[in-house]
Amino acid sequence: MPSVGILGAAAPVYAFFLVSYGFSPIATDVGYQPEQPVPYSHRIHVGQLGIDCRYCHNTVEVAAKAAIPPTQTCMNCHTQVYKESINLTALFDSYATGMPVKWKRVHDLPDYAYFNHSAHVNRGVSCVECHGRVDKMEEIKQEKPLNMGWCLDCHRKPQGRVRDPLTVTDLGWRFEDDSAAKAQFKTFEDYSEFWLKHNNISPSQDCSTCHR
Amino acid sequence: MIKVVIFIVTVVITVAMIPLALAATARSMSTKKPRIHFVQDMDNQPKFRAQHSNDLFLDGRAMRPPVAGTVARGNLKEDSHYNLGVVNDAWATTFPAQVRVDMDLLQRGRARFNIYCTPCHGYAGYGDGMVNKRAQEILENSDPAVVKGSTWVQPKSLHEQLISEQPIGQLFNTITNGVRTMSGYAAQIPLADRWAIVAYVKALQKSQDANLNDLPADQRRDLPTIKLFKEPN
Ligand code: HEC
Ligand code: HEC
Ligand code: HEC
Ligand code: HEC
Ligand code: HEC
Ligand code: HEC
Repeated sequence: MPSVGILGAAAPVYAFFLVSYGFSPIATDVGYQPEQPVPYSHRIHVGQLGIDCRYCHNTVEVAAKAAIPPTQTCMNCHTQVYKESINLTALFDSYATGMPVKWKRVHDLPDYAYFNHSAHVNRGVSCVECHGRVDKMEEIKQEKPLNMGWCLDCHRKPQGRVRDPLTVTDLGWRFEDDSAAKAQFKTFEDYSEFWLKHNNISPSQDCSTCHR
Repeated sequence: MIKVVIFIVTVVITVAMIPLALAATARSMSTKKPRIHFVQDMDNQPKFRAQHSNDLFLDGRAMRPPVAGTVARGNLKEDSHYNLGVVNDAWATTFPAQVRVDMDLLQRGRARFNIYCTPCHGYAGYGDGMVNKRAQEILENSDPAVVKGSTWVQPKSLHEQLISEQPIGQLFNTITNGVRTMSGYAAQIPLADRWAIVAYVKALQKSQDANLNDLPADQRRDLPTIKLFKEPN
């Protein structure tokens, strides 16, 4: 029976392909977009109103965590804007009771892995490298796999992925549009190379960097 | 016999396509459901981390709010000049000793101002930020389904005389504790950065009310072409 033989030979290849294709973090983790208790939109607040990430995620430059903002931060504006909107009911309840809004976590590394925002943001790795174009998202979605191989890809070769730390929260930033940068450097590679040298960046690949 | 084999092979291949199709969907679509977690490893350890929940306490918070009436070590605000902008029960008119006013401080202040103040007050401080623009637009609408109960007090222009003449201690207090409809920013902006913003706002106010005579004589030469400045009187 040759066909059975072929099937038998194809089975391991098939199984291997299925596991690496279907169980890779790109399939299991990327694209997670939970429904949040408040339909908060980064597209409106960041994309249209132009609020900087750090207005809300204000610990991102100094701490490991970026921190989800407390209700008070939203109420800086929403004590006035849309104060009878039904979309904001959960926010107003939280403000009245003092209990935090129960935001669902989107990006979540395993607890044995250590990540630090300030180490990246202050060295010129933009939010967009790891979170995608948040300023265009109606609801937050995980865009990158966040597995170890993905972290290491950049730690091995940060060339072309770092820039001026002052522009990290400008997600739409492009070398081609930055006249000041273009006056000094021919290509984006030169520009990125400059910041690597200037800030003396050499990301560590030791296991203890991320498993401590 | 051969028909049966062909039938079985076809069925096996077809069935084998189903997981592939599912995997392809998973790779290309977003999902509202959390990932299926077959192998737990030590991914979710029972320790408590910042901003996670904790069933031990009634309110479910892993981060405990400070007990009422207590002060954490090192957080006693004894220096009223630095912490409150108050000297001898009056608004401070000078910067406290901890703050060194130099170019670095102004640069820091500008960066922080652009993050925390521009949405409402605008980059130049005239009270015309994007949030103000959008809020005015919403209020102009007469449809209650659009307005949704909104009200709006226009953020003050920082160049109004009453405000630019305020002592710096009062400006510091406005940022820290807010004023009327503006909320305080003590929780979002650390103490040192609030002083940096004060220094920058002072510079911004001066820049919008500058006179040619304010410049050193050797730098005035090039200016007549720039129309931003008032003529000397
Ligand atoms: C007005 C406040 C505000 C601003 C400004 C803001 N965010 Fe957020 N962000 C939130 C809130 C609230 C959440 C939690 C709800 C959610 O996930 O949508 C959040 C969630 C996130 C998350 C997902 C966190 C998780 O659970 O994994 C990322 C990533 C993020 N923000 C990135 C950014 C970036 C990048 C910027 C700047 C371009 C930015 N945010 C600006 C309020 C803000
Ligand atoms: C700096 C001011 C500001 C802050 C801070 C802010 N918002 Fe808003 N928000 C606005 C404005 C202005 C609009 C109206 C935008 C529009 O309609 O174009 C809005 C709209 C919304 C809407 C849409 C409501 C509806 O009925 O359509 C939601 C939901 C919302 N905000 C949630 C939040 C949450 C949650 C936070 C805190 C993380 C927050 N906002 C912080 C200014 C702000
Ligand atoms: C080098 C990659 C990387 C960069 C750059 C980065 N993030 Fe993250 N971010 C992550 C990872 C990984 C997590 C999940 C952390 C965890 O589970 O502990 C995360 C989580 C978050 C969260 C959820 C809360 C938390 O801290 O766990 C927010 C909010 C967030 N990021 C915002 C930002 C903002 C805003 C920026 C830019 C200023 C930024 N991130 C830049 C990788 C990055
Ligand atoms: C886009 C590039 C990029 C990605 C992706 C990235 N990193 Fe980094 N990482 C860097 C750079 C650049 C530094 C700073 C190295 C330096 O300061 O010399 C850094 C530093 C760190 C540090 C701090 C090391 C120290 O000395 O304290 C940790 C921890 C870290 N990364 C963990 C991670 C983890 C975990 C991930 C994956 C979730 C990740 N990184 C993904 C670029 C990246
Ligand atoms: C740049 C950060 C980084 C470095 C360096 C690093 N890891 Fe990891 N590692 C991670 C992250 C993030 C995860 C979690 C991946 C995931 O979500 O599946 C992980 C997961 C693991 C796992 C569990 C894999 C699984 O699927 O169960 C092992 C084992 C591991 N790492 C070993 C190592 C060893 C050994 C080294 C040193 C050679 C090392 N790691 C260096 C970031 C790192
Ligand atoms: C959410 C919008 C908003 C933001 C952000 C904001 N303000 Fe205001 N601010 C206002 C409003 C509204 C008023 C007018 C209050 C009133 O008259 O009821 C005001 C008034 C002021 C005044 C005048 C105080 C007085 O005595 O009349 C100063 C000074 C000021 N703001 C400084 C700042 C600074 C500095 C920042 C950044 C740290 C800032 N504001 C951020 C909305 C804002």
